[in-house]
Amino acid sequence: MYRLLILKELKNILLSPKFSATLAVCSILILTSMGIGIQEYNHAVSQYEANQSLARQNMEQANGWGRVTQSLHRKPDIMQVFVAGLHYDVGRLSSINRTRDVKLQRSPYSDETLFAVFRFIDFTFIVQVVLSLFAILFTYNAINGERENGTLKLAFANPVSRIEYLVSKCVGIWLGLVIPLCIPILVGLLIIQLTGLPVSGEDWSRILSFLGLSMLYLTFFVVLGIWISSLTRKSSLSFLLLLVFWIASVLIIPRLGVTAAGQVIPTESIAQIEAKQAAFEKARWQDYTRQLTENMRERADNMTNMTEEERASYQEEKEWDWLEQDDAARKQLQTDITNNNRLLLEETRNKQVIQQALAFNLARVSPASSYRLAAMQLATTDMGMKTRYEEAMRVYRDNFVELVKRKQDETGQTGGFKINIDSNRGMKIDFDRNNQGIDISEVPLFTEPKPTLKASLVSAIPDFGLLGLFILLAFGGSFFAFTRYDMR
Amino acid sequence: MFTLIFLKELRDIIQSSRFTISFAACSVLIILGFLMGAQNYLGSLRQYEAAIEENRNQIAAETNWAQVDNSIMLPPRPLQALVNGISNDIGRTIPISGRGELRPQNTRFNDEPLFAIFRFMDLEFIFGIVLSLFAIIFAYDSVNGEKQNGTLKLCFSNAVSRAAFIGGKLAGSFVGLSIALLIPILIGCALLPVLGITLTQSEWIRLGLIILSGLTYFGIFLAIAMGISASTARPSTSFLLCLVVWIFSVLIIPRASVLVSGRLIEVPNVDEIASQKNQYRLQLFDEDREKMASFEGSEETEPQDLMREFSSFMGELAEERTKKVELFSQRLNEDYLNKQTEQTKLALRVSKISPSTVFTLASTELAGTSLHLQNVYLESANSYQEQYGKFIAEKTGQNSGSGFRMIVVSSGDGEEEPETLDPEEMPQFEFAGLTTEQVLERSVIDIGLLVLFNIIFFGGAFYAFLRYDLR
Repeated sequence: MYRLLILKELKNILLSPKFSATLAVCSILILTSMGIGIQEYNHAVSQYEANQSLARQNMEQANGWGRVTQSLHRKPDIMQVFVAGLHYDVGRLSSINRTRDVKLQRSPYSDETLFAVFRFIDFTFIVQVVLSLFAILFTYNAINGERENGTLKLAFANPVSRIEYLVSKCVGIWLGLVIPLCIPILVGLLIIQLTGLPVSGEDWSRILSFLGLSMLYLTFFVVLGIWISSLTRKSSLSFLLLLVFWIASVLIIPRLGVTAAGQVIPTESIAQIEAKQAAFEKARWQDYTRQLTENMRERADNMTNMTEEERASYQEEKEWDWLEQDDAARKQLQTDITNNNRLLLEETRNKQVIQQALAFNLARVSPASSYRLAAMQLATTDMGMKTRYEEAMRVYRDNFVELVKRKQDETGQTGGFKINIDSNRGMKIDFDRNNQGIDISEVPLFTEPKPTLKASLVSAIPDFGLLGLFILLAFGGSFFAFTRYDMR
Repeated sequence: MFTLIFLKELRDIIQSSRFTISFAACSVLIILGFLMGAQNYLGSLRQYEAAIEENRNQIAAETNWAQVDNSIMLPPRPLQALVNGISNDIGRTIPISGRGELRPQNTRFNDEPLFAIFRFMDLEFIFGIVLSLFAIIFAYDSVNGEKQNGTLKLCFSNAVSRAAFIGGKLAGSFVGLSIALLIPILIGCALLPVLGITLTQSEWIRLGLIILSGLTYFGIFLAIAMGISASTARPSTSFLLCLVVWIFSVLIIPRASVLVSGRLIEVPNVDEIASQKNQYRLQLFDEDREKMASFEGSEETEPQDLMREFSSFMGELAEERTKKVELFSQRLNEDYLNKQTEQTKLALRVSKISPSTVFTLASTELAGTSLHLQNVYLESANSYQEQYGKFIAEKTGQNSGSGFRMIVVSSGDGEEEPETLDPEEMPQFEFAGLTTEQVLERSVIDIGLLVLFNIIFFGGAFYAFLRYDLR
């Protein structure tokens, strides 16, 4: 009986104009989105490669280790074609040098604001907004529509149990919705394969998991539609109720959750933190200058009663110790500034983590939020992307700075210059030994941080679980409602 | 007869369950939109004031104007929170050194990516996506639904012209729904002062125009749905067609046309330009090193005066370098900006075939968050930098921004502790934005286009109904 009922439902859907419209819209939407996604990915890759070679070229052209700077770029990921996540909003590069801490800046949208006005529609958006609406369209009259047409009584004139009927409805409608989706998805994946994009085995697993997640999300809306349809007598009413639910869960709750968390746990802006960092940096430089002045005075005091020759000999004898002392103080200064900068950022980041946890927990009342968050985890374009990159870049920066220091010590290229003013000898400016060219083969290579598939799946499990729970609840609700449904 | 049909339509709408539910949903959505916008604005204002205060404090702790690290911030505006536009995607902070090219940084979405995931629920989103969908839901069966119920024939058994019928229907639906929408909108507007947000007269006018544009846009979708309803026999078919039209005009055309046509024009890589500028800057500095090394101060000068002399010499060199870099940058930027303008023009021209694009452009222009915001902010920042540069020159005898830190260590005895600075002395940045006249001038074409779309689609609905088989 199951088979018969499912086939009947499927046939009904396949022959309806609803199916043709869904197939046409899904095909155009999905293929357009994938086409544009591939175009944007290729654009990002060519920009990334050009920037990589520019960064290398700039390093090679530096005429001394003291002058070498490096910039690191966020690598585009093929998964952004399906789930753009935060890719377009988060900065894509950071300069790496001794004086400034790592900071991802210049997001793709801040560089090309034109595209920020009409944002890119990815596959996640299509499923989250458009296909969930289609799921409602397929199911809003699943039960009450049959009652209105008189076919419900007719169906139950046969030996059919209510559970058989309900399950067949769910499966039939689900298949009817998924079939028009599968065709453009398969075509899109084929295009990706044919255009020779670098999709690894792990990426394919991510894509498949993501498609599975999308099906899970759509299943929820199918079951929900059947539930509301079995709770109401008129299909027009169930459609309106479903539409209200759709607006609340897809459009309102996710945004409301985030806004509420922003109000409950306010965080400091980066501009404010930077001003604090600048204040500390200045105060620390003043301390350093004061300390240096005291040292100089002490050194001068020690030479007060000396003759010119004794002074020169004393200076020569002590010069190395003094240099080491000044250098240690300067290194300590840089370390203090870096540590303070990181501490301030860490404090804000910790607050942001609490804010995020609250925002996501509030937003997860809606299945749309669970779906989006899990999709972003699978595609690695999630909230952690910025932190992951900044942390990896910080580790790289520390190694890079260490290497530069070592090379400077070896070659004597400080990159700066020293001014000595003596009331007797006047002004003397010393430049270091520059213009020597450098060999950058020892400069470490940056490895982009990317969580493993297992780690991504583990992070997405709570949202997968939530979606499963939502489906079970909706199915339980529809079963309960349908067993009490008055078929007359 | 027109009045009779108009009133009948109005009554039908108001008494339907569709209206009750949609009105409740829209009211919640609109009021929440205003509330969230207000909270968002107040939050941004708190952050802005704290950052300004922090900046002021760090300047106040400084003892030398030449060493001041000044930066300005884009102040949040209430209308920005109600219609976000690109305000969250552009850099809000600009370090001001007194000379050189300005580079905005710290975009809201980069600093707080949490808000970028689901984005904010602003008026542009509510009108652009949700209310347009509601317009379709209200009007998809306005003609063929009457036919299915048999009321169309009944209606035309009276002395009713087709023009009066379709005109009355459209006017009745539009007025009924607009009034229903205006109630939560007015509540939302009233909430703003209650929440402590004061709008200037100009901002009220602009908000009024945004709402009017929103209602005009809503009217377009009513006319489209009515046209489709008058072209099809069954409501289920017209609903599907309406939905397809909605998906295309709201979701696909604006984005696809901008992305595809935008990429047709190759814009130079911004990073490459930045790298060229940087290379040139380094090259100039290398050239100046010889001059610096050969610096000789006036004979028998006190160290402090010698240092001042050297500092002024360095300032002159830096000034010279900056001029050269500016010229070089101008040349590079010119090509980039020309290409970018060309790209924007083409992309927007193509995408304006969709009313959704036109509404987005009109509303963001009126709110001051359109694509122009970045340029207006930069212009304002440049003019401030000029003032600031003059101020620093007055205070120190040279413009700041030499790009390196000078540590003056003296082995002399007992110097007095220098006094700290008073930040109130320096010029304050005020972002004026565009005037109401300028905004109106820029948005009038888009508002006109919205009206034109209304006329065209109503004309289409009228034409379709003239040929409609009433049986």
